[in-house]
Amino acid sequence: MSPRLRFDDVQEGDDLPQQEFVLSKTQVREYARAGGLWTPRFTDDEGARQEGLPGMITPGNMSLGLLATFLESWAGVGSLRRLGTTFRGLVLPDRTVRLRGTVTQKEGARRTVEVDVWLESDEGERGVIGTATVALS
Amino acid sequence: MPVALDLEIVRQIVGQEFDHATHGPVTAEELIAFARALGETRPEYTEPGPDLIGHPTYCVRYKGRKFYPENLPKVVNVRTGFDAGKDLELGVPVRPGDMIDVRATLHDVYEKTGRSGSMYFVVIRFTMTNQRGEILAVIDNRFMHR
Repeated sequence: MSPRLRFDDVQEGDDLPQQEFVLSKTQVREYARAGGLWTPRFTDDEGARQEGLPGMITPGNMSLGLLATFLESWAGVGSLRRLGTTFRGLVLPDRTVRLRGTVTQKEGARRTVEVDVWLESDEGERGVIGTATVALS
Repeated sequence: MPVALDLEIVRQIVGQEFDHATHGPVTAEELIAFARALGETRPEYTEPGPDLIGHPTYCVRYKGRKFYPENLPKVVNVRTGFDAGKDLELGVPVRPGDMIDVRATLHDVYEKTGRSGSMYFVVIRFTMTNQRGEILAVIDNRFMHR
């Protein structure tokens, strides 16, 4: 098991190391296939437009998954206990996304921390926001 | 046109389980493909073997057979809804060979008023367990209807 971040090494107000990448249409299609979501809105621009969308979009489940991976990249495999997300806007593929987070609270008895997380566009628009509980060592 | 929904009637069916389905067995290939599609490279999620476990959000790929309870008023049209978010509480990890038992409950229905008028939120709770009765995840899925 990969090492887990130490509770004593984290402070309220800490920012998680942000991740920035281009979320490609290929990756979104791979997720749609693996996640049982193979429908035009997630796989095909023209099919998505016929549903009134600007083009194919990223599934909310994928945004949830990216944020979970982001949190465990920071804290370690198996550290995530809870993740709540609100899907506020469309996340369009083939654009840069940033995953960010801030520690908001430490719970000493359980050695857990509360974290605000979000997925934002290159323009800083937060398409997905959430809160998480992460267990540290 | 906003839907007209009698929330008092709806609240009478809140808490009712309306669907039950079992999926699986889960394969190592499925777990690895799911994790890799999220950019995972760590061995716990991507290398076959006895230590392989599912990505923490793997369970969100499972649903029941029914989207909503049959006795939910028809003004709540599945086709007009948007996925507004998910709350995920994690239990034990999914492992290859697991069967996924999914029970769906109407957890909550509430109204919010925004700049564009009234919106209804329907919250479906999916409780997922494995063949040993261990909780894998509890997922609250919020759908928004205008």
